[in-house]
Amino acid sequence: MHLTDEQLNEYVDNETNEREQIELHLHLCDECSKRFSDLQNLFLELDSLPDLQLTRDLSTRFISSGGLIQQPPRWLTLTVFAQAALALIALIISIPVITTYIPQIDTNSLMTPLFEIQSLWNTWLDSLSTLQLPTIPEFPIPIIEMSSLLLALAGIFVLWILGNGLLLRNQIRR
Amino acid sequence: MNAPTDRDLILRAKRGDSEAYGEIVTRHQTSVFNVCYRILHNRSDAEDLAQETFMRAYNRLNTFDIEREFAPWIRRVAANLCLNFLESQKTSTQLDDERDEDKSQSPSGQVEVKERSEKIRQALASLPSNYRLVVELRHYQEMSYDEIANELKIPLSDVKSHLFRARKLLAEKLHAPD
Repeated sequence: MHLTDEQLNEYVDNETNEREQIELHLHLCDECSKRFSDLQNLFLELDSLPDLQLTRDLSTRFISSGGLIQQPPRWLTLTVFAQAALALIALIISIPVITTYIPQIDTNSLMTPLFEIQSLWNTWLDSLSTLQLPTIPEFPIPIIEMSSLLLALAGIFVLWILGNGLLLRNQIRR
Repeated sequence: MNAPTDRDLILRAKRGDSEAYGEIVTRHQTSVFNVCYRILHNRSDAEDLAQETFMRAYNRLNTFDIEREFAPWIRRVAANLCLNFLESQKTSTQLDDERDEDKSQSPSGQVEVKERSEKIRQALASLPSNYRLVVELRHYQEMSYDEIANELKIPLSDVKSHLFRARKLLAEKLHAPD
């Protein structure tokens, strides 16, 4: 009884649990020993295949870096967070201005929902005013003129755009 | 000064250092290209897929476990890409008129090596693509039967039958008289 192809292949691949029995058989059977030797020679031939060389250097694309998605550096990530914080501050500053100017707009169709929102907002402010907070020292708050406020908002907007431009500059693929 | 290890270069590449990734590509491009070539047997496709392999790997670098060896991982990515490519092609690829170079041999030795290598490549190219893949993963990437079954999502019995039949066919082709 000879070894099957499956037994022989699994033995060569170290994928069998019958190693001892197979080795014993290989010592005794010339035919199976010859088949085993042929299989080993095939392995040697496959291993002997030399590597082909590339006709172009694949690394140039990565080193010249035009087409890569870059990881943003740490300072740029911090810039994004700073932008978000500035945007939040700008929003908080602009809310009282918006609530002051909205009643002056003569758009009757829009007024009703806007008044509803304003009333909700006032309710929320009222409930906030009743909230007991620890006393904090008072600082003199400068009175900001409308033109300065708009100028500040425009400045924040420009900074935001510039920051995003820098962030996305290296992320355009190909 | 010692050359940086793959691990060092990958850490730098993860931080956005494209020069470091370029060095990684330089180190591994030949082996990745040869994985693609052994599976596809077409130089142009193999070079394109090797390039694509490094692009994919770069995009997945953040998920790459730095404690793993890079070389087997990138070769596996390449084999997977070639598998997808073959599935999308659905046509048999043609063997390039490729010639192996081995400058360390004497002229007569070089001719022998070239002829033998060419015969092996012809034999590999003549295999059905699913057999070729199994041979690549077992012989050149040294994966176990179970790993191959998982990688190709086929039953273990299919891995064995493909591999054993592939070897039989290769032996017949290689030992057939010219």
